[in-house]
Amino acid sequence: MPNQILDPTGTTAAQAATATAPRAPRPKTLTGATVGLLVNTKQNAAPFLDEVGRLLAERYGATVTMARTKVNFAAPAPEDLVKEMTTNCDVIITGIGDCGSCSASAVADGIAFEAAGLPAAAICSDAFRVTADAMAELQGAPGYKYATTPHPVAVLTPDQVRARAAQVLDDVVALLTDSAA
Amino acid sequence: MTPFDTTRADAPDPDAAQAAIEYCYDRDWSDGLPLVPASQPLVDRFLATTARNPDEVVGELEQVGRNCTVYLAAVNAAMAGCRPEYFPVVLAAFEALMRERAARGGGWQSTSGPAPMIVVNGPVRRELGFNTAGGAFGPGFRPNATVARAIGLIVRNAFGIRPHVLEQATQGLPGRWSICLAENEEESPWPPFAEDGGQPAGTSAVSATLLRTCEFVDNRHTADPDQVLWDIADTISRTGSLIFKETSAGVVLCPEHAQMLAGAGLEKKAVQEWLIEHCGRTGADLRRAGKNGLRGIARFADPDTAADEQFSRILPSPRHVPIVVAGARNAAISMVVRIFGEWSGTAIPVAEVTR
Repeated sequence: MPNQILDPTGTTAAQAATATAPRAPRPKTLTGATVGLLVNTKQNAAPFLDEVGRLLAERYGATVTMARTKVNFAAPAPEDLVKEMTTNCDVIITGIGDCGSCSASAVADGIAFEAAGLPAAAICSDAFRVTADAMAELQGAPGYKYATTPHPVAVLTPDQVRARAAQVLDDVVALLTDSAA
Repeated sequence: MTPFDTTRADAPDPDAAQAAIEYCYDRDWSDGLPLVPASQPLVDRFLATTARNPDEVVGELEQVGRNCTVYLAAVNAAMAGCRPEYFPVVLAAFEALMRERAARGGGWQSTSGPAPMIVVNGPVRRELGFNTAGGAFGPGFRPNATVARAIGLIVRNAFGIRPHVLEQATQGLPGRWSICLAENEEESPWPPFAEDGGQPAGTSAVSATLLRTCEFVDNRHTADPDQVLWDIADTISRTGSLIFKETSAGVVLCPEHAQMLAGAGLEKKAVQEWLIEHCGRTGADLRRAGKNGLRGIARFADPDTAADEQFSRILPSPRHVPIVVAGARNAAISMVVRIFGEWSGTAIPVAEVTR
C-alpha cells in the first residue's frame, strides 16, 4: 500500500464553511438608536463614516454616540474596544475596507459585533468583495452581508466623500434594520 | 549523474509522480509550479532535523485564525523541494520573518504583495550548499530556491492566504518567494550581516524582511567611492516608493562596491550614516509628485510651496538602511531593496541538527 500524500494546510473538511456565527437581532427602525462608528485609519475612512453618521441622525433620527479608531487596521478590533462599543451603542458601522487586509478585517469586526449582539454594517470598497467574502466564510458567517462603495476611496475629495456616504446610506440602513420584523 | 536504469523494478515511476503532482494541483496547494508530494517518511526525515515538537506553533496569523506548526512547516518545506537538512534554516527564516511587524499584520494580504528577503549567514551556508556568489538573487541553486519557496507555501497553505482571495496583491513583484541570499562573507570586507542582527561572529543565522521591489545600481564608471554612494543615494531617494514621512531601503552591495568603500576607510556603519545624511528629496521634488504634505506620518499632495527649498531626509536610522554583501566579484553592480515597513533588526540562529 503506497504512502498517503500529506495535506499541507492543517485544515480538515469539518472546518469548511458552515454558518456558525450568530447574527444580532435588528431593530425595525433606527429612530432613537445609538450609533457607534469604528474607523480603521484608511484615508477618507473617518470623514466617510462621520458623514454616514450625520445622515443617519438627520434622516433617521439616530444618534452617533461614539466614534473609535482601530489603530491596527489589519487585525480584528481588540476585545475591550468591542466591549466598550457594545456597552454604549445599539448599532455599529465599520470601515472603510479599502485594502487587502483591512477589507477582510472590517467584515471580521462586523461579525464580531453581531456575536456580541449588535447589528453591524461594514463598508468596503467594491474592489475587495472576494477577500471580504473569504473572511466572512473564515469567521463562520458565509454570505455575511456588508455594504460596498465603488473603488477607489482614498483619492476622493471631501465633497465626493460626502456624496459616497449619501449613496451607501440606504444599504447601511437596510443592513442594520429589519423592517419586516 | 547516471540515468536511472528504467528496466529495474525499483526505478522511479514517472506516471505515478505525475499523478501525484496533479493531485497536489487539484487540491490548490501549489504556488503554480509542481510540488514534491510529501509522504510521512519524507516529513519524518525533516522532523528529525529539529529538537522542536511537531505540534509547536511557530507562527500565527490572528486575523485569519490560522497558525503554522513545526509539522506543517515540514510538510510545506518538503513540498517546496527542500532537502530535510534545510529544515532548520526554513524554521529560522520563518521565525525571522514573523518578527517583522508587517508579516504579523496585514503584509501577506497586502495590495503591495511583498516578497520576503531571506539572508543566510555562517557555516550553514557551506554545509548545505547555498550559493554565496554570482546570481545571488537566483535562480539556479536548490537551497536558496527551495527555502524561499517553502515560506511562500507556508503562507499559502498553513495560513490560507491565497492569491485573489485573502491575498490581494495589485501587481505583486518579481522574485516573490524566491529571494534567499547567502551573504558572500568570504569577499565581504565587513562583519557578517547576522552580527547587525545581534548574533555573535561565526553563528549560522537567518535574517529576513519584506520587500516591495529591488532596483540595480550599475556603477562601474568610477573609482571614487563618493560617486558610487551618490549613485546609490539617488536610487534610494525615488519618490515612487515614498508613501510615509520616512522609509526603509536596504542595499545589497556587490563585493566590488563593498571593497571599494571599505578600501576608502568606510566601515558599514559609516556607509549607512552617509546614506542617512544624503538620501532624501527637496520639497519641490516631493510636491511635483504629490507627496510633499504630511498628516502625521502619511504623505499627501499639498499645494503649499513654502517648503520647496527644504531637503527632507527619509532614512531615520541605520536599521532602516541595512547593508548586505552578496553576488560575484565580477562587476560593480549592487541592488537597492525596498523594504516593506521596517526590518526588525534581529537575526535568528539556525538550531544545530540533533541527529
